[in-house]
Amino acid sequence: MKILLMGNPNVGKSAIFNRLTGAKVIESNYPGTTVDYTRGYMRLDDEDVEVIDVPGTFSLEPKDVAEEVAVKILKENRDSVVVCIIDSTKLERGLYLALEIIEEGYPVVIALNMWDIAKEKSVWIDAKKLERVLGVPVVPTIAVSGEGIRELVSRIKEASPVDIERIVRNLEG
Amino acid sequence: MKLNKEMKFEIGRVYFAILGAVVLGIGIAEMLLGVTGRSFEWGIMEMSGEFLLWRGLILFFAGTFYLSSIQNFSDIHQLAKTVMASVMIWIIAGMKIFSMILESIPGGEEGGWFNTLEGFLASYSAPYIPSIFLLPFSLLVLYYIKLVESEEKMDGMKEESQPTGSGGDT
Amino acid sequence: MKLTVDERWDLIDKIAEQVVKYGEYRYRLKDAIADITVKPLTGIPIAIAVLYGFWSFFGAFAGFFTDGFLVKLFDNHWLPWLQEVFPGKGGWLYYIFVGDPAADNCFEAFGVLTSALFVAIGVVLPAIVAFYLFLIILEDTGYLPRLAVLVDTVLHKIGLHGFAVIPMILSLGCNVPAVIATRALETGKQRFMMAVLLAIFIPCGAQLGIMFKVIPGHVGFVMLYLLAGFFVFGFILDRLLPGKSPEILLDVPPYQRPIAKNVTRKLWMRVKSFFKVAIPFVLLGVIIVNLMYLTGFLGWLANLLEPLLCGWFGVPKETVGPLVAAFLRKDLAVAQLSAIEMTMPQLVTSVVLVSLYFPCVATFAMLIREGREGGLKGVSQYLFGGLGALIAVIFLWGGLIRLIWIILGVA
Repeated sequence: MKILLMGNPNVGKSAIFNRLTGAKVIESNYPGTTVDYTRGYMRLDDEDVEVIDVPGTFSLEPKDVAEEVAVKILKENRDSVVVCIIDSTKLERGLYLALEIIEEGYPVVIALNMWDIAKEKSVWIDAKKLERVLGVPVVPTIAVSGEGIRELVSRIKEASPVDIERIVRNLEG
Repeated sequence: MKLNKEMKFEIGRVYFAILGAVVLGIGIAEMLLGVTGRSFEWGIMEMSGEFLLWRGLILFFAGTFYLSSIQNFSDIHQLAKTVMASVMIWIIAGMKIFSMILESIPGGEEGGWFNTLEGFLASYSAPYIPSIFLLPFSLLVLYYIKLVESEEKMDGMKEESQPTGSGGDT
Repeated sequence: MKLTVDERWDLIDKIAEQVVKYGEYRYRLKDAIADITVKPLTGIPIAIAVLYGFWSFFGAFAGFFTDGFLVKLFDNHWLPWLQEVFPGKGGWLYYIFVGDPAADNCFEAFGVLTSALFVAIGVVLPAIVAFYLFLIILEDTGYLPRLAVLVDTVLHKIGLHGFAVIPMILSLGCNVPAVIATRALETGKQRFMMAVLLAIFIPCGAQLGIMFKVIPGHVGFVMLYLLAGFFVFGFILDRLLPGKSPEILLDVPPYQRPIAKNVTRKLWMRVKSFFKVAIPFVLLGVIIVNLMYLTGFLGWLANLLEPLLCGWFGVPKETVGPLVAAFLRKDLAVAQLSAIEMTMPQLVTSVVLVSLYFPCVATFAMLIREGREGGLKGVSQYLFGGLGALIAVIFLWGGLIRLIWIILGVA
């Protein structure tokens, strides 16, 4: 099993990566491109699990090389759990990518990052309700202070693939 | 005369600008003395003793916090800096007072178990470190905290929801 | 099933409508304060102020009990009484338990019932209570995990994590509880590295006191030199040792007011476990050292090391005795050092060497105890790994300082 950190650019993905992985971080170049991505290891239930900080992307229909690499990394690691990092102030944009990944059949955990900034802007997201609707764990986080990171990790094992039709039904029901 | 909110913040702005400049100055002076290993006494005030360099550094930061907060003083982020600057002064002054109290009780190396009354009182005599003098002046920030908090309450908004509020283990 | 782009946006709109609320939350002053304590530019000055508060509190509280009352109790009442009533003055049993019959204070007597008991109860216990009290309050308010996150980035560079600040801070008071605190680290490699680095490079309260006495003008330099050594050797050890250094996941609760009942309960638990774990080892350590002294092993060691120490570090021959004894009795070593005629560089070198040693027998005993969890292998890792690192550091880092003097042209 691997853990892929995915999300739009500038959602604090690297900050979460730094909170999750140890000091030994491996910088790699994706073969045939100029795109770099980082890998590291984290401790999950007494096991070392590889974590990949996937380049930021807005969707799975790539618009540039970095996005292309992101999609390739996702496709190459079918047995991964995807931690989808969403900027809480830009929920819709982040959800778009999250839904696409869910549709691909990956188990997903959602981190509502930059929760403090959302608060500052008087945006409040009902994380519990979002969790019920999507059927995947949703955890508010603040990467700069570390709030919520531990909970995020503890809920990785709850992630399982969700059928998109169920989400549609959840919304209506 | 009843002051409106803008005027109250304008007064705070000027007040903390002056306080900030004084704190910054004292901080720099203490740091210079600390680095060169000297001390300075002026009437009932002294700049000497343990950790002088560190105390100077902290006052330097506190002064910088005050001064950087005066622009848009009524903004909550700026006020937060004023609060923390005051807290930094409270830490230095509070710890000094705490250690003065503890030092005044035992009898000392040659004496009995407890201090004599004269010895007890003598431990509270001047000179004092600058932070003790700055302490009362920094307390004005409490008024502004109250001012902001009463406004927060008046808005009648819902209590916050914390990041771990989604059924977390915290 | 997959959705089309439009269907997806449609779904998102519906979700957002149900879960997002605007204006529900208002950013409060306490949020703004929480924010500036974790941002480096404002967070580091605040952290310095908090740590200053920590140290002042520690010094005042521990000084109140130790210097105010316990020193008097042990030196003026316990020691004379013990020297009076303990049978067999001059015998080896007397030497082990009471120590030097001519001693007029418990610190220098070096018997199990004098020095060891005094250090454990008179010096370390008040320090431990003061230390844990403040630490638990920082922990329960939620400040401590944020401080750890703040320094995380710097420590990542040597394979350690923000959480390592806690043992580091602990260590400046006494290395024994610091070694215990390394248990909170995640892997065996991290625990071993941190314990060894702390024991070697971070001077404890007693060592700091010594420095201020002998080289008052150079304490800052020595501290910087030791801290640099901490990072350099941390970096090297991280690469030499096998194993991983995963991140330590901290629970970072929102800021809150600490509850007095929780604080006192935690304090009691930690002090109790300290008593159970550390005190037997302090007592045992003193017994072992006294035996080494009595059997002449230490004198033999001093003779053996003499040419090495003089040649490599450039310190006068007379310092060898005190330097070897420093492993056991630092206060005495320093008293002897200051009596020897030396140039300032030689004196600084000697003090650096004294600081680099394991701070005391108690810490050494604690290190071995930490290894015990890994069975015989663990014990030998801590014992020989620790000693190996110590010897390497003393020669390299202690030799480097002589090189600095040579380059500066003062030695």
